[in-house]
Amino acid sequence: MSRGSEKTDESPKWMNFRSLLVFSMFLRVFLIIYGEWQDAHMEVRYTDVDYMVFSDAASLMASGESPYKRTTYRYSPLLAFILIPNSIIHRSWGKFLFSASDLLVGWFIHKILKQRNVPEKICTYSVMVWLFNPFTFTIGTRGNCEPLVCAMVLWIIISLMKGNLSQAAFWYGLVVHFRVYPIIYALPIILVLDSQIFRSGQKPPLEDWNTGKAKTTTSNTEKKPLHFNLLTALKSLFSRERIMFALISGGVFLACNAISFYFYGHEFLHEALLYHLTRTDPRHNFSIYFYHIYLHYERQFSAVEKLISFLPQFTVQFALVFCFYQDLVFCIFLQTVAFVAFNKVITAQYFVWFYCLLPLILPWSRMKLKWEGLLCIIIWIGAQTHWLLWGYMLEFKGVNVFLKLWMASLLFLAANTFVLVKIIQRHQFSPLFRRFRSLSPKM
Amino acid sequence: MATQRQSSVISLIFIYCAISSTSSSQQCSDKIDQNIVPAISSLLQHRRNITGEGSHRNLITSIKLLLQSESQFNELVIVERLPLGVFADPFELQSLQQRKVFSDVSVFGDTNLELPSFRSNRSVVEIHVDMSSRDYEHGEISLKLPLHARYQPLHDSGYSRVEFGEPDLFLCSSHLPNQGREQRRCLVLSIGGLKTEAISVFWDIPAGIRDHTEYVSAFTFAAAVLSAFSILVVSVLSSKVESCKNSKQS
Repeated sequence: MSRGSEKTDESPKWMNFRSLLVFSMFLRVFLIIYGEWQDAHMEVRYTDVDYMVFSDAASLMASGESPYKRTTYRYSPLLAFILIPNSIIHRSWGKFLFSASDLLVGWFIHKILKQRNVPEKICTYSVMVWLFNPFTFTIGTRGNCEPLVCAMVLWIIISLMKGNLSQAAFWYGLVVHFRVYPIIYALPIILVLDSQIFRSGQKPPLEDWNTGKAKTTTSNTEKKPLHFNLLTALKSLFSRERIMFALISGGVFLACNAISFYFYGHEFLHEALLYHLTRTDPRHNFSIYFYHIYLHYERQFSAVEKLISFLPQFTVQFALVFCFYQDLVFCIFLQTVAFVAFNKVITAQYFVWFYCLLPLILPWSRMKLKWEGLLCIIIWIGAQTHWLLWGYMLEFKGVNVFLKLWMASLLFLAANTFVLVKIIQRHQFSPLFRRFRSLSPKM
Repeated sequence: MATQRQSSVISLIFIYCAISSTSSSQQCSDKIDQNIVPAISSLLQHRRNITGEGSHRNLITSIKLLLQSESQFNELVIVERLPLGVFADPFELQSLQQRKVFSDVSVFGDTNLELPSFRSNRSVVEIHVDMSSRDYEHGEISLKLPLHARYQPLHDSGYSRVEFGEPDLFLCSSHLPNQGREQRRCLVLSIGGLKTEAISVFWDIPAGIRDHTEYVSAFTFAAAVLSAFSILVVSVLSSKVESCKNSKQS
């Protein structure tokens, strides 16, 4: 979304944020009701298989049993707990909850962008990227819980922007307990908790959209190289804010795990935590590693082999953090895309993790929809579609196309890399926070 | 063939007697229950087939059986011992039961749906079918058991063959609410393990090819390293460019 488009802020009345939110709400309600009809009348169900797993687990928990008695339930007991009303009120309770989270994400996107003084029109377009993305509005209505995680991540960003570190830390500990992947945001969050930015009792000054270029003389990037200064970081590493954030988030994470372990023992540890940390799936998925894992599945991987396979992921994550941590939202967006792309297992639901962050970086992108943006969209969706065609041949026609499917995975990684590179190149770097004027030491 | 079938049925009736005598002290040979023998007035035949394509198929079992109208035996029980390499989804079968496709169904053994065949164990599916007129026309009843393929051991040909044996078939009396399990009567129609005919039902499932191992691993890591390096270079260059811009502006 080029800054050239900010000249006029006139958009049709129907396109105001409130109308969009109301329309989105009705769309989701309709889809939930339609989903119930399709499940009852058609052989192919609308509802996600995972929703049945959540509901069964919730039902077990409501009867006083362990939710982990339900095979393939690999989530926090908290999820089963909040879905207990599925058994008491109606089986669609969870879908309404997830769709409400989906709408909340839209609201949070709008709130974050408004706090950074992004013009209303651009805010609205950005919000539409989330609310009207066919993938996102079906995922909640089909009963997938990812919108809940997205809402928590965005609330953490809002809390940081307000300077409410305790709240941000609490929700961060909770979201990592709930869904392990946000652990990758720990380093950039810790790095951005600079004592020159966060002071107790004061809201940190935000770098807003309008002044991103003009006020670089007063910004914290003024005389400081944007790449990470190791010596400075070591000096300010143990600031009060960082220690507080680490203690609170770590404490919440451990407390949630301790309570879950108390009730459900090793089953919880294995299914909800260790499974995700050690997961390798030989079955076909978007990841480039699936065929490699399948061909080696009859023998265990050595520790060295596991380490080597983790190196690309590790390298990319550190590179992105140290290059972009100051532009926190952009950094965690890139991290999420890279994390998914280099993961040992990739399923389509993981895409929601960065879909919710994409609207937050669009106002700072110099990439125009025509034609660079469209090219990225076509390449990314095209690579997915190509993979899905071979996947269909394997799974639904029973033809051995493992090699071609694996090549399609390589192509998908190439597409992800291309899009990531383009987004980085076209991004107008803008730190989320400004340093306080009175103290701007040379870094 | 018909003669062989008829003799096998009669011998099986005696097998039933031997089984039921565990709950009775009477000698079986001179106490053949007249209510049981006439239960079947036609020869037992059944056909098997795998239908569908891909990793999700149906095992069709068609059983031709004529019962006496007054017969108390109106529930067919099929015990399907699935080979390694395929599994039945218990939740899918529950859904079929709720839709009254089966009157009862259970899965025993390895119900982990995600493991490849070389890490899994076999499973057994027990299906109960009510011989109502809806399912039972012209003496033939057809059962469709949905099955799913597990990931197979590597094979040079690229396909792994999974062969299905014969099921165990029983004809049981209705289960009444106040009736204990030992009071139900069951007639053994067929024991799959006793059959010696060649197995005719099989399913060729795609399998990884061992010869691919080396170059798949090599290219996988090369692709990962190349992508990571590209992102690393662009990130460092972009951050340096921004740094230069800011230095010039200040």
